[in-house]
Amino acid sequence: MIFATKAFYIFLPTVLLLYHMLRRRTYKYRVLLAASWLFYSWLSPQYLWVILACTIIDYFAGIRIEGRDDDRGRRRWLAVSIAANLGLLFAFKYIGFAYDNAVSLANLCGMGVHDRTWSILLPIGISFHTFQGISYTVDVYRRQIKAVRSFLDYALFVSFFPQLAAGPIVRAAEFLPQMTAPPRVSAKQVADGLHFFLLGLFKKVFIADQLDLLFVAPVFANPGDFDPAAQRWACLAWAAQIYCDFSGYSDMAVGCAKWFGFELPRNFNFPYLAVSIADFWRRWHLSLSTWLRDYLYFPLGGSQRVALRTYINLMIVFVMCGLWHGATWAWLVYGFYNGALMSFHRIWDRAATGYPMLDAVRSSWIWKLTSWACTFWLVTVGLILIRMPSWNAGGILFRSLLGFDYLETWSRAIPIWVPMLLAVGLVGHAFSGLRSKVCGVLDLPSFARAGVYVGAVVLLVTLSPGVGRTFIYLVF
Amino acid sequence: METQTTPREVRLPLEAAPRPRTDPQPILKSLTVVTVPAAPPVGFWRRNRTIILFAILLVAVDFAIGAFASLWQRHSPDDYAMKVAGCARSPRDLVFVGGSPVAEGIDPDRIAGSTWHGRRLDSVYAMGLSGGTTSDFYHAIRRACPTPPKVLIYGITASDLNDGRNEPHGPYSLWSWGDMARWVRLRPEAREWGVRHFLLARMGQASNLFRYRHGIRMWAAYMVDESLPRSCPEAMREADELRERADRLLSGNGYAPARGFSVGNYVAVKAAGLAPDRFPYLAHYRTGGHVKYLHLLIDWCEANHVELILMDMPVTADLERIHAAEFAEYRTRLIEIEKTRNVRVIHVSRDMVGLTDNDFADLIHMNLNGARKFSDWLKPMISRDPAGSAPS
Repeated sequence: MIFATKAFYIFLPTVLLLYHMLRRRTYKYRVLLAASWLFYSWLSPQYLWVILACTIIDYFAGIRIEGRDDDRGRRRWLAVSIAANLGLLFAFKYIGFAYDNAVSLANLCGMGVHDRTWSILLPIGISFHTFQGISYTVDVYRRQIKAVRSFLDYALFVSFFPQLAAGPIVRAAEFLPQMTAPPRVSAKQVADGLHFFLLGLFKKVFIADQLDLLFVAPVFANPGDFDPAAQRWACLAWAAQIYCDFSGYSDMAVGCAKWFGFELPRNFNFPYLAVSIADFWRRWHLSLSTWLRDYLYFPLGGSQRVALRTYINLMIVFVMCGLWHGATWAWLVYGFYNGALMSFHRIWDRAATGYPMLDAVRSSWIWKLTSWACTFWLVTVGLILIRMPSWNAGGILFRSLLGFDYLETWSRAIPIWVPMLLAVGLVGHAFSGLRSKVCGVLDLPSFARAGVYVGAVVLLVTLSPGVGRTFIYLVF
Repeated sequence: METQTTPREVRLPLEAAPRPRTDPQPILKSLTVVTVPAAPPVGFWRRNRTIILFAILLVAVDFAIGAFASLWQRHSPDDYAMKVAGCARSPRDLVFVGGSPVAEGIDPDRIAGSTWHGRRLDSVYAMGLSGGTTSDFYHAIRRACPTPPKVLIYGITASDLNDGRNEPHGPYSLWSWGDMARWVRLRPEAREWGVRHFLLARMGQASNLFRYRHGIRMWAAYMVDESLPRSCPEAMREADELRERADRLLSGNGYAPARGFSVGNYVAVKAAGLAPDRFPYLAHYRTGGHVKYLHLLIDWCEANHVELILMDMPVTADLERIHAAEFAEYRTRLIEIEKTRNVRVIHVSRDMVGLTDNDFADLIHMNLNGARKFSDWLKPMISRDPAGSAPS
């Protein structure tokens, strides 16, 4: 059961009804926890033990860390928690990749090892809940938060179903204080929850799924069958699809959480309006990028040491970011690519800052527009890496983005709906992002807001594909 | 305006620390308590007006969509419902019922005018419900024939009796609550399936927006194509075919062959190497459940003095060869029915009609040429004295 399926539309109202019918806080949270575990079991029934094991280990590790006065003991319990989380993550996500590479290496040395015939099914959301667990024990270790005494509260923090499968990665400091207050839902939260849920559903079902079905999937499967203009449009459509798919899930998670009285952090801040690659990573998958910053980049020394060390740190962080998404060479290269871009950007920024004339040029709108175009192009090139079916196909798509061999902008192979859907995404992005709003619709008068929501429902019901597609980030 | 000044406590959430901190900051200590004047109380309507307006508008839009139901139905006809309604529109002399072999293979216009025991059969209707099973045909006949016809010919084939499959369109378009209760009683092994599909159908029909979503989509495709020609060719092709089909179903005698079957040719399919080696509707073949509904159909005919004929529909030789065991079981069942219920069964062979692979579009469906040939053969067969001359 995932968002945007029939089962979920029965599950969610049932849980909401039960949750709001109950009076006492503990009963409400018990229902919510049971629902969350049911949600997880529905997706990966054989792996319920994974999330239970992580929850139990981190819960006890948190208490032990807090209870010990000696640094050695505290460090030992922190190590237990990190090793358990990363161990499970490695076991499920990276063993196959490591084995394949070991086999390739052995075969290069002429050892004649057979390819694996087994595969490991990834538990849903493991990359998200293990990172949540680590952040919790590290925060307790750093004495930034107190260890949670109630197992129920901690288990709910880890398993809260709206963000369980594909984030956002919620910090204990953001979530647990909300559990201390009485679980009440305000009228504003109900209305805003509807807004975010519909917004996410619209992005996912109306834009992302349609783009994939109409154009992205066929072009990326066999890019050689299409002309460069169609390939370019497919790259653009893919950029829109992955954003709408992932941010759509996050928006739905935020909306659902509001209906239970919880506030989840925003995961995206109009990333395609970024004017530099550093700006992009301050807008894209915020919960992951801030997690990597706080729990990897800063402990590595951040930018406090010599310049070379900063660049190495950046590279480590982005390679880890790539590998977090998937255990493939393509994701590894994606990490290197972004690490290199971030390093180059930092070098350029350091070199160009402080010269009054250059600063004036850099603050002009034409410079910003050029920076935006360059950033978007670089981001799109990176996104090809994570969708291409082969390196050869990736090369074809990359050449099309260079645009040297064929400068036409239109091709008969492009369905008219593709630019129309891209325009819808672009208008949505610009409508709020350029005015630094969370979403411009939230500021409309009630009647107009209600009209927009009804319009979205009508479009969703009538024009979206009959069968919903899996969220891309569910496999991470 | 009166301002309420009663102070209340507001808890501000902790902001995420940008850097690791070494000083202890337990959760409870991190909450800052400040005192601000409380906002004036806001009424229920004002607080919830967005949600209330959303609900009201949604209901209004749903009613508005319902007001144009015929428009949406014209762009996405519900085959089963429209054929049942079409048949019930006037009393019929002769009704054909069956699955897609009947829908594609019997043209009532070519059969009208035949006689039965000296009485002319002018009003003929073909209620071919594609994908249907015997259970669906029983439910359809009960609704489609408020005035019982003189003759009911059930063009039966092996897949109609296959308990390995059920057709969700039946519960959606043909069942009443009583039908669901009967299904639960008669088909305990498929109880959950029947109840689930019936309830889902009822829930889906509660909203006009959901019910007519495909019709609205097809209508939109038409509208877009008028403004931007050839902008959505696939949707437009589907919309065009469905509209043509709806027009034929609304005005005609139930005969509305699908475009693909009308022009298809099984010989060409075989020559292209595309002939299937299995027929999915005969997968997991077992009989017994749907046969109970065949008995109910016979009971209904007896109670209403309707002459029932079971006509074993001709199919390609390949289908009978591929699924020889399934056809053997099916024909055994037909013989049992013929003997125990004293029902007339016509076993129609391809040779009797003169059908070849050229007259079929695929393994089981006749094309336009086959339908003509078969209907022309059928007309005198019905008129003949049922006592002896009809082959059985």
